[in-house]
Parts: sequence; C-alpha cells; structure tokens
Amino acid sequence: MADVEAAKSLSGLLNGIAQHVYYNNSDVTEELLRVQLFPDLPRDQFTALHEKMKGLVKSIATADMDHAQLEAFLTAQTKKQGGAGLSSEQAAALTRFWKSQRVRVRESLLAQSRWEPGLRGLSWRVDLQTAASQGGAVHSGPVALMELELGRAGQESEFVCLEFDEAAVNQALKKMAEIQESIDRIVHRT
Amino acid sequence: MSSSHVKDLSFLGVRIPPEIESMSKNLNDVDQETFRKILKAVVSALEGKDCREVMRSTADGSGIPQERLSHIIAGMYRLLSEAIRIPTSSLKHEAFKEDLRELRIPEEFITDFSSVVFGYRRAALESATSQNDPHLPTIEDFKWRVDVAISTSSLARALQPSVLMQMKLSNGSFHRFEVPVSKFQELRYNVALILKEMNDLEKRSILKIQD
Repeated sequence: MADVEAAKSLSGLLNGIAQHVYYNNSDVTEELLRVQLFPDLPRDQFTALHEKMKGLVKSIATADMDHAQLEAFLTAQTKKQGGAGLSSEQAAALTRFWKSQRVRVRESLLAQSRWEPGLRGLSWRVDLQTAASQGGAVHSGPVALMELELGRAGQESEFVCLEFDEAAVNQALKKMAEIQESIDRIVHRT
Repeated sequence: MSSSHVKDLSFLGVRIPPEIESMSKNLNDVDQETFRKILKAVVSALEGKDCREVMRSTADGSGIPQERLSHIIAGMYRLLSEAIRIPTSSLKHEAFKEDLRELRIPEEFITDFSSVVFGYRRAALESATSQNDPHLPTIEDFKWRVDVAISTSSLARALQPSVLMQMKLSNGSFHRFEVPVSKFQELRYNVALILKEMNDLEKRSILKIQD
C-alpha cells in the first residue's frame, strides 16, 4: 500500500516538473509539490529528489529518447552507487511518465525554438457578390474570404483577412501541392 | 409595384441628377465630333485612365467655354456610371434611349451613349469600375521555404520540418509566418475545400440571380 502511494507521489512529482518546466504552468512550484506530495520528507531531501528528477527528465527530453534509449539510460542510472543512483521504482515512474508525455514535451521544446509568428488557425467563407455601388458585380464569380490567425508563443493573435477569386484559389492550391511535394521528399528520405 | 410603373421610371431614378440635367441643357449646339472626343475622354476616365491631357486638348480645340464644358463632362460621367451600374438584363436598350430622349438629349448623342453602354466596351468598363468596390486585400506575391530544424538549444535532435511562408498583399503589407506540418495539412485541405465550394457554386443555379 505504501509502495502504491510512493509511486503516485513520484508520478505526481514528474508531472509537476513537466508542468513547470515544459508547459509554462508557473502555479506548480517546487514548494507546492513538496507540501502536496512529500509532506513528511525533510526539506533538503526533497530538494535533492526534485533536482535529481528534474535533471533526469531534462536529459531524457533533450535527447527525445525512444523506448530502447530510455531503457538503456535508466539501467545505467540504477547501477550508479550512493545517492546519485536510481531506485527501480523511480525508473519505472520515469518510464511511465515518458511514455505518456513524450509527444507533448517534444512539441513544447520545438515551440521554444520558433520565433516567427505561427499559423494558429484559419476560417473562411465563400461569397457571391450580388450588387455594388459601382456595378459590375453581376458578372463576377464567387469570392473566397479567408482569415488567418497568426501569433507568436505567449502573445495575442493577429488576424489577416484576404480575398481570393477562383483563379487565385487555384494558384494557392498549386503552391500548396509544391510545398507538400517538398515536405514528402524530406520525410521519405529520413 | 406594378410593371407599368417600373417602365415609367427613368433608370436615373425619380429625381434626375442635377449634373445630367445641366449637361442636356449645355449640349444643344455642340457638334458631334467634339461630343465624341469628350465622350472618349470620359470613358477612359471611367476605365481609370489618366485623361487629363486628352481633356485639355479637347477643351482647347472645341471652342466651348470652360464652364459649359465642365457641366457637360460632369453630366456624361454621371450618366454613364449610373447606366453601367445597372445590369443589362434590367436596363433595356430601348428604355435607355427613351429615358435620354425625355431629357431632351439630341438623337445622335443618344446613339453614341448607347454604343458605350451596350457596346463592346461594356465588359471593360464593368471590370474597371468594380475595382473601386470595397475589397479585402489579395495576395500579390507568395514565397515559401521548407525548413528542417536539425538541432536546437532545447532539443538535441529535432529533425522537424516546417514551412515558412511570406505573403505580400495588395495593400502593400508583408506577412511572414511559420506553419508546422500539421497546420499546413489543415491549410491545404481548406484551400482545396474552398475551390470545391466555388466550383459547386458555379454549377448551381444560385449564380443565375435575376432581378
């Protein structure tokens, strides 16, 4: 029973570290984790544990370890002697943690090296102009209105509204096909 | 509204615009050659061309006092832009001529006006005037680059492709943004969907709105 509790606290600690370090959740502080998860552990011991786990998670995340790499890494860590060594429970908790968080942590790390505003979303509408102050609307074809939501991480979005006639949409689609081809070439090669 | 009512109403509306009224008063002794020269200049103005030079030389050669000439030009401009606003399906050739006769515009000038409104220049005039309608900016230039992040300060082996796009818009502004591959798929899918919607729309009868 005590083992289950210990495993839970350990998982909580790892997830807490991920919240604080990778998901920008500043509410989850070291102090909060100590009080909530390890209230009986002396403060200096908790600090050591926290630092150790933080360091391990960082090593795993930076290398974006796959399953085999993680296993080899953790095995090496458990063989270390003294306080630096890793218990098998801790290794198991790290394995569980990484299995569930790998994709999200990687995404967060990738975002840290993105400086241009990114495309966040788009919405569109197709209109048919039926009348205009200057006339000439009757012969014009459908018009596509598109809104692109752009923004840098942590900043508010900027919206860009565009208008396309059918020829312009066609042209844009051709460019997209070129880009896709270019991405496919890279992805297939690696 | 009964159909006989509609017929009685001039295409210019119930109240004839003052420029047009004063034009018809000033047209009386203008010879056709001068009229055609002015008409040509007004049409190119409607097409958005710079016609100051043509207008100046016409004015100098015509012998018509400047003030009368201004009335004529203003009236022609108004008359043509009003006529071109109305789709040809609604404004019939005969009705147009009849409306001009009621304004006491000489018959030979009516023929010239008609050939502008119903002739081969109509399409060019319509597309030129529709440029003045309110529009959102369009994409003038579009450049892209596919990058693969190999390694970053936070990730030893990133190997993540992304697309960098740069657009120049018709209002002169530039936008540069990065599109992760998953977002790019979304963008491409949506552009394809828009094109499909536009194609479907043309097939449907909704395009054939008549008034």
